[in-house]
Amino acid sequence: MPRGVRRKLLGLALVGGATLLITSVALAGNGGVAPQPAASPGASSIRESYWFIMVFTGIVFFGVEGALIAFIIRYRRGKRPRNQDGLQIHGSTRLEIIWTVVPVIILAVIGGFVFFKLPHIADAPSASAAEETTIAVEGRQFYWMFHYPNGAVSVGTMFAPADDVVHEDVFSPVTDVLHSWWVPQLAGKIDAIPGRTNHTWFKAPVGVYAAVCGDLCGIQHTMMAATVHVVPRAQYEAFIKERAANPESLALGKEEFDHVCSVCHKLDSAYVGPALGQNPLLTHAKDLTTVLRQGVGKMPAVGSDWTDAQINALVAYTKTLVKNGGNG
Amino acid sequence: MAANVEVQAPVRPYRADWKQGRIASWLTTVDHKRIGILYICTSLVFFGAGGILALLIRTQLATPDENVLTRSSYNQAVTIHGTTMIFLVIVPILAGFGNYLVPLMIGARDMAFPRLNALSYWLYVLGGIILYLSFEAKGGAAQAGWTSYVTLSSLHEPGRGQDLWILSVHILSLASFVGALNFIVTITNMRARGMTWTRIPLFVWAIYTYAWLLLLALPTLSAGLTMMLLDRNAGTHFFDPAHGGSPILYQHAFWFFGHPEVYIMVLPAMGIISEIIPVFARKPIFGYKAVAMSTVGIAFFGFLVWGHHMFAVGLPTAVDSWFMIASMIIAIPTGVKIFNWLATLWRGNISFDTPMLFALGFIALFTIGGLSGIFLAAFPVDWQLTQTYYVVAHIHYVLFGGSIFAIFGGLYYWWPKMFGRMLDERLGKAHFWLLFIGFNLAFFPQHMLGLLGMRRRIYTYSQHGAWEIYNTISTVGAFTMAIAILVFLANIVKTARTGQRAVNDPWLADTLEWYTTSPPPPWNFDRIPYIISARPLRDLRRRLAQEGRL
Repeated sequence: MPRGVRRKLLGLALVGGATLLITSVALAGNGGVAPQPAASPGASSIRESYWFIMVFTGIVFFGVEGALIAFIIRYRRGKRPRNQDGLQIHGSTRLEIIWTVVPVIILAVIGGFVFFKLPHIADAPSASAAEETTIAVEGRQFYWMFHYPNGAVSVGTMFAPADDVVHEDVFSPVTDVLHSWWVPQLAGKIDAIPGRTNHTWFKAPVGVYAAVCGDLCGIQHTMMAATVHVVPRAQYEAFIKERAANPESLALGKEEFDHVCSVCHKLDSAYVGPALGQNPLLTHAKDLTTVLRQGVGKMPAVGSDWTDAQINALVAYTKTLVKNGGNG
Repeated sequence: MAANVEVQAPVRPYRADWKQGRIASWLTTVDHKRIGILYICTSLVFFGAGGILALLIRTQLATPDENVLTRSSYNQAVTIHGTTMIFLVIVPILAGFGNYLVPLMIGARDMAFPRLNALSYWLYVLGGIILYLSFEAKGGAAQAGWTSYVTLSSLHEPGRGQDLWILSVHILSLASFVGALNFIVTITNMRARGMTWTRIPLFVWAIYTYAWLLLLALPTLSAGLTMMLLDRNAGTHFFDPAHGGSPILYQHAFWFFGHPEVYIMVLPAMGIISEIIPVFARKPIFGYKAVAMSTVGIAFFGFLVWGHHMFAVGLPTAVDSWFMIASMIIAIPTGVKIFNWLATLWRGNISFDTPMLFALGFIALFTIGGLSGIFLAAFPVDWQLTQTYYVVAHIHYVLFGGSIFAIFGGLYYWWPKMFGRMLDERLGKAHFWLLFIGFNLAFFPQHMLGLLGMRRRIYTYSQHGAWEIYNTISTVGAFTMAIAILVFLANIVKTARTGQRAVNDPWLADTLEWYTTSPPPPWNFDRIPYIISARPLRDLRRRLAQEGRL
């Protein structure tokens, strides 16, 4: 191919690629150039580490790709005969040492910065007992369940006190599979592993934060999500107190139905599992309990470790569904 | 000193009549060149199959809430796509290049164990067939991802697909293991006279290292898979926490194999690049010893970094820190290679034939894959990036932008030697540009998707805006790549009968495989020169010129 055409092609590809990239980034409103905006000190230190690495890798990127393009243009064959030799040079010990040592220094700087930031990411700041709380986060096929210090439970929606240090004990029952607890704005991922308890933490202002499962955990992994509601301390206290006082509340039953049953079942049509609307199971407490505790067919035992109160809450709620027009 | 040592062409061994038919001769062959070609062609067929799965995946993800391929079928597609591209495409096609080229490059008449070589190929075919037939199994093919993490794969996948997946990977491991032994014995013992360790081509260095990596890493995978098989079928509890087993044990076993596996797929690709660049820049490779030693260095450290795949499992901070440092150390020999290739271009006389375009594309893309790896090595940052499309982008920049680009470069480069005809340059350039542009469209936006929070292995999403834009661009890129592959196929068909005949050394290359005819006779060489440097053909040309015969 003649040089002119080649150059034009190369230019075209570069310009095209760059334009597309810039347009898409612009359209996305700064979307996707760094981890999501952080709402917790740990997540924000991770973002800072990310940008720190970006600066150095950016320099290396432009250096290497720039040298590549410059050499391609400068040392192209052009009108020279194909078999004409280039400079017959076999190497240079000094250069080898330079491009070994310089990357070592760059990597040491990056590593040093990450280790400098690490305590702000891995370790929760110390706080008085009144300003911290521990919530157990349980990953199940295919929902998240939260256990509060006073014995209260919520499903699919986690409540947490604002501006307090919230420790999370993340686990999965021994009969379940691996999940990964991820609230991008609050912290990095931590796996929920059967038979093991992992720890993470956050300290966030009032807000609602999306959570998902990061590890492929089966057929409805895609749909395994939750929300974290960070609310003022008083509101949080009131919520868990109310939950503990009414362990069979309709509110809990609705959470269970929406975040456990609905992931695989619809009322009026078949989904992953059969339709529930006309299913006598919904009003039959004993059979429903058996299905929840032991599973049936392809359905996992989603309620194997639920308390009786939790099961009663679900039964109470499903009864209202049927009463309110059941087949709807 | 006499440079040319006469070696008698061996007497051809007796072959039964029935083995001499057009098809039978291929089915019963023990010739390393034919086995190499069989490996390469079979891998390309599986590349098509894995590519179709990838297109299905990208179609499903093109826009929010698609319904092309969901849930179970999607998980099967993801699992078999990954398993195919790694175990049925990249590893075996590199074995194919190794088989074809190693004896020619070191001046041997065949591999050390030709029958073992054939066994290795046929085991590979068997493993591939089992994997694809598993789609017909009760419950469909395996759907726990190519990593097949327990306890999902051990206790929660009742179908036979997972068992067949284990069987297939076991057979493929055996095939690679046998092949690796063969490479090591061949390279150690069968080099031409005068070919010392510092005179063997860099591709042979890479294959030698690749073979050692396979030999040392595969047994751990086999152990892990055997435990999974027993847990599933024999009532053992290696990975079952309800009975004292550990799910994390599987991850250690898998990644102790899995990370060296990355270098198994990348080092020979780098070897190909180290062969192509000097030829088209008309220069010797810059820093032969540094490039060879960096190959060994990467391989060594490759065994010490597996934990960086497990940063989110909650290992102690000291352990995470070690794996971070070791992973960053690997960037250093990798950088050495890139800098040496750039230095090889410096003050060269660069021709842009298709093999060279792919080699330059490799440098451009692999650099991106290497740099995104530094983010992933920093474990706190990895906690945000792991299990997202950022990782998907990273591994495709390494394994597609890296390995597959090198493989295509190698195909264009050695095609004339293998088949005696040149591939078409115009179609080759179209192939390259379509693939290069399509690749970047497909995978660059996936970095952003990962940062936006898109998890890998999800079959749908509901977000519009940036998510939808990036996903649509990615799908357009995937189909552009598919067109590029069709151009490549068209090139093969077009040149099969009418392509320009190749002379012995059409690229004016320096290594020994170009000393013989294109394609070479079954015994490879009539005579094998005494080797006095890493560039025997250049030595030969120079001597002929001095004698006034060139």
